Amino acid sequence: MSDNETTLIQKAQKGNHDAFAALVDEHQRYVYNLALRVVKDENEALDLTQETFVRAWTALPNFKGQSQFRTWLYRIVTNLCYNRLPNLRRSLNDLGDDVMEDIPETKFNTPADEFESNETRRHLHQAIENLDESYRLLISLRYQNELSYDEIAATLNLPLGTVKTGIFRAKAQLRNALAPLEESWTTA
Amino acid sequence: MDNRLKHDALIEDALNAHPLAPMPRSITPNVMARIQKDMRPGLITWNDFALSLVIALCVGALIFTVQSLPPILLAKLRIEGILLYQYFLVNARWLVPSLFFSIAAFLAALTIPTLIQMTTNRQR
Repeated sequence: MSDNETTLIQKAQKGNHDAFAALVDEHQRYVYNLALRVVKDENEALDLTQETFVRAWTALPNFKGQSQFRTWLYRIVTNLCYNRLPNLRRSLNDLGDDVMEDIPETKFNTPADEFESNETRRHLHQAIENLDESYRLLISLRYQNELSYDEIAATLNLPLGTVKTGIFRAKAQLRNALAPLEESWTTA
Repeated sequence: MDNRLKHDALIEDALNAHPLAPMPRSITPNVMARIQKDMRPGLITWNDFALSLVIALCVGALIFTVQSLPPILLAKLRIEGILLYQYFLVNARWLVPSLFFSIAAFLAALTIPTLIQMTTNRQR
């Protein structure tokens, strides 16, 4: 959390509307995208984003800065998503925690593979959109909102193992989605 | 690069390159309009006032009832209380440890969510 943001939060806690408006401007896109990835509906995502900030304003005097402001906002929006999608909480809890080892996150940017990568990327982005809502939430928090596994676990109030399992399984589904594409590479 | 590693790398690349959707419109004006309309709740809400009023009325009613009872009835109640206590000591002594055990079990059960939370935090 930057010094500027800390100052804005302190001012907003004292009731300064301009400071809160600046915080809304700063974070709305990330909150909106998280909601959008989960509910998959623009209007509903906008509605959830608005509700998140209204609730954040009400609860701001209780924000003690123990977590980052953005993770606090993500917690509010995911709680609102739970209300909209009652199965989301249950499916997250049902993930279990059988994957406890660290998940390697490899980098891929060799120029020779660039064309294949662009084509595959589009295919995989579609596959990400088609993941289950619980996987979409975990993947969004990890890659779009750039939270660590620990931060995701704290945000969703889930054990760390469950978060790792969820992301591992989401990636396994994406690997399966690659199979038909790979067949087309080999036949070409 | 073996196939599995290549797939993992492609997936990682796609996940990292998944673009953020643009906001259809800024929500700031709507949020500001709503927070200016809805007052932030104070430290003590109307619910707290209502609840404390009800409790105070109950306590007041109890004191008033006890004080307005005729002295003979009060004495009878006191005697009945002593008799009940004696009866309890003679016939239902086993209830005392059971009661303590139940209270202890109840208090221990109250700590379970906190313990689960602590265990989860330690795992993290």
